[in-house]
Amino acid sequence: MNRSLVILLGALVLGAALFGGSYFAGQRACRMTRSADDLSWLRDEFHLSDAEMARIQKLHEGYLPKCAEMCAKIAAKKSELEMALNGTTNVNPVAQQKLAELAALRAQCQAQMLQHFIEVSQTMPPEPGRRYLAEMQRLTLGFHEQTEQSMSESAGHEHHH
Amino acid sequence: MNKENINPDSGCAGGFAEASDARLGALLRESRVSPALPPRFQEGVWRRIEEAAAPVKVTGGITWLDALATLVLRPRLAMATAAVLMVAGALLGVREGNQIAKQDAQARYLAVVAPNSLR
Repeated sequence: MNRSLVILLGALVLGAALFGGSYFAGQRACRMTRSADDLSWLRDEFHLSDAEMARIQKLHEGYLPKCAEMCAKIAAKKSELEMALNGTTNVNPVAQQKLAELAALRAQCQAQMLQHFIEVSQTMPPEPGRRYLAEMQRLTLGFHEQTEQSMSESAGHEHHH
Repeated sequence: MNKENINPDSGCAGGFAEASDARLGALLRESRVSPALPPRFQEGVWRRIEEAAAPVKVTGGITWLDALATLVLRPRLAMATAAVLMVAGALLGVREGNQIAKQDAQARYLAVVAPNSLR
């Protein structure tokens, strides 16, 4: 093989290795220096002060036990629903009742969650607060909207055929 | 070589001296041993002179590779390129790392305040 070609290929490999190594080192260093705190995203994304973060921390700590309680209730209701559906080939009245109860619990939990988001947003300055609330609604409620939209689209598609 | 009396002062006249010079010249030419030249010697000499005078011919396509390799091997340029690559890689990595860390942090917060069963 030509000597010049070998030199150039070697330089290319070395350059790629240097670039790749620096890239991964930079990425790793950046990820390692970031705080693993649950609320770190709020502080960084909405540029909150220590005082604002302290108020949010308090709200957050007050909300978590309520959220855990609701999650436990939902999990218990889901188990009840599974038992009601176990071995049946149709949705019996008991299962229907459990479904309604589960939906009510989920709605209650979602309302509680949205209330928490509103309280947190009110702790922030107006603009970041609005942005936070919109982002949380998009992230927590948007999923259902997407699913419903995709389902209605596919249903409409089938109707046309 | 035959030993003969070639002394011009041996009592002879001018004609004898001239004949003696001619004989001496002939003897000298005979005594100088010159090796036989190889065949087409002169032609070979001229060919080598022409080759030496002509510019160096390099096969096309290799020239730029050689030039590039020479450029790459320059220590200053090599160091500068390595530094630029490292800085560019690190900056891009930090930027990407920031983005990933932000997404991770958001997912962590969301997992705490809005469990999957509610989303």
